[in-house]
Amino acid sequence: MKPRFLPTEKQKAWLSVLVADRVVFFPAIIKDQVHWQRLDPGMLGAADAPEWGLERIRASEPVKSFFFNPREKVATFPDKFVSPEPEKRVLFGASACDAVALRVNRKMFVEGDFKDEAYARRRAATCVVVADCPSPADTCFCNLVGNRPFAGDEEKDEADVALSVVEGGWVLEPLTGRGEELLGSSQAVEATEAQLAARQASREAAGKRLAEVNPKRFAPDTADRIWQRNQDKEFWSKHAADCVECYGCLMACPTCYCFLLYDKARGQGEMERTKVWDACYIAAYARVGGGANPRAEFVKRFYNRFFCKFSHFKTWQGMPACSGCGRCTAVCMGKIDVRKVVLDVLQ
Amino acid sequence: MTNIFQPISAEIIKTIDETPNIRTFVLRPEQEVPFLAGQFIELTMPGFGEAPFTPSSSHFNRDLIEMTIMKVGRATGALFNFKVGDKVGIRGPYGARYPLEKFEGRDIYIVGGGVGLAPLRALFLALTHEIDKYGRVFLRYGARTPADIVYKYLIPEWEKLKKVDIDLSVDVSDEKWMKKVGVVTCLMDEIPCNEAESIAVVCGPPIMMKFVTMKLLEAGFQGQNIYLSMETNMSCGLGQCGHCKLGPYFTCKDGPVLTWDQVKGIPDPFV
Repeated sequence: MKPRFLPTEKQKAWLSVLVADRVVFFPAIIKDQVHWQRLDPGMLGAADAPEWGLERIRASEPVKSFFFNPREKVATFPDKFVSPEPEKRVLFGASACDAVALRVNRKMFVEGDFKDEAYARRRAATCVVVADCPSPADTCFCNLVGNRPFAGDEEKDEADVALSVVEGGWVLEPLTGRGEELLGSSQAVEATEAQLAARQASREAAGKRLAEVNPKRFAPDTADRIWQRNQDKEFWSKHAADCVECYGCLMACPTCYCFLLYDKARGQGEMERTKVWDACYIAAYARVGGGANPRAEFVKRFYNRFFCKFSHFKTWQGMPACSGCGRCTAVCMGKIDVRKVVLDVLQ
Repeated sequence: MTNIFQPISAEIIKTIDETPNIRTFVLRPEQEVPFLAGQFIELTMPGFGEAPFTPSSSHFNRDLIEMTIMKVGRATGALFNFKVGDKVGIRGPYGARYPLEKFEGRDIYIVGGGVGLAPLRALFLALTHEIDKYGRVFLRYGARTPADIVYKYLIPEWEKLKKVDIDLSVDVSDEKWMKKVGVVTCLMDEIPCNEAESIAVVCGPPIMMKFVTMKLLEAGFQGQNIYLSMETNMSCGLGQCGHCKLGPYFTCKDGPVLTWDQVKGIPDPFV
């Protein structure tokens, strides 16, 4: 599928088409932070519309929020609950790390022994346009976990279109049939060699920047070495010392899949079940009904996070449950940098 | 569309008080729940929560499901107020079954403690239903006091079964108690089967599981032949929510029964 070029002056027309029969979200710059925002038709061309952040790093909110809802009704009793039909959506300007995070979510919720139909239907109804990340931040480390700052064929399981901002417009490369269809409603024309060269140069510069930010690499045997360190309380306590247990890292994480099911009484013999995001750092997380708790000490919960993401998931699914987005580091009040902890394991 | 979080309805058709804080609930689900011994079910106490329990009845009779439950927390506390005729919810079955095909031709040494006999009963009934496939079945069971023994009314019948050998102990006896006094490991000083070839199956409080496992290993049982019911916070039953993670296992999916060889490398597997 050939890359196209859509000049700046024709972008509004395309977005108007998209927003006519879909819900479109875009990365908006709000107080110098990137946040997902719903695109209202009135925003197109409006002077007070938020600035688009296609050339910034990923949005603050984890992309999983669109599919794995932070809070969601999932069952009722005795009547049976059916989740509502999902709306057609476009995430216009996700990052490549978001696509990788969605892959982790899919492995957990769609490809396992039990399929979460509500997740699967929402995901199937959503088209994802991944924008290149031309200026990775100091917190970014997608290159350490095997990923890259743009989407291509390798990301087509979760990305429908790769978007690159170049001079005068966007280079748009459809990666899936659905992406091709989406582009069909635009006035994009075949991209020129010069435009593709500009895209390539931007991608190479982003890769170079990542190499500068992360000069040390994760070793191929990282998974084994984290597992082998499971008894080293002194090591993990040293790194956990600055954690204030706010759980911000886990809530901001796009690959954390933990959830809690809790039931509310609706009437005699009736209940409503809600699924909410959960965090394995919470003290009661692994506690059983009788009160025993295998991870009562925080250091065990701290280790569990690293084991889960960089060891168990890698061994089990062939990829770490980490996209390298750096949200966890960015939100951490204790300034704990996940990269430094993993690199210290490898020392 | 299948909703993996949606329970089906089951009616409580009978309850049996086993001990002062353990009760058996006999349930009739609205549709058959195709469980196999070792698998568990998520039981919804409407309005009070959901918790995992392993059926204690035979998988050869699935019209009714029996679950023997100890009152320990909020949800089970509420369940004890449910009456015959009330409806509860059921999801499942979940988890891995006992690999009975690996048990064929071998002696099976079952050790239970307290309410831990409940899931072992499903195994015991499955084994004795087709006893000719297996070697001898030894059941060693310990409870705190004679009053804390579950299935008191069934054990005399079980003792009469072909190829079955049962012994009991209590931590604290009363004047009528004629069997051993001590923790369940006191029944294990002589193990009357070929330890290297036999299967051991253990379920009980974590501390009991730990010492029984040590005793079994000391006696010569192979780690791959020691099946342990691991107690973790199984919540979704689907291998998704993460609460039951035990080292590299989701016990709700890979367990709840794991072998000693699977858990021995995990720090503090018995908590």
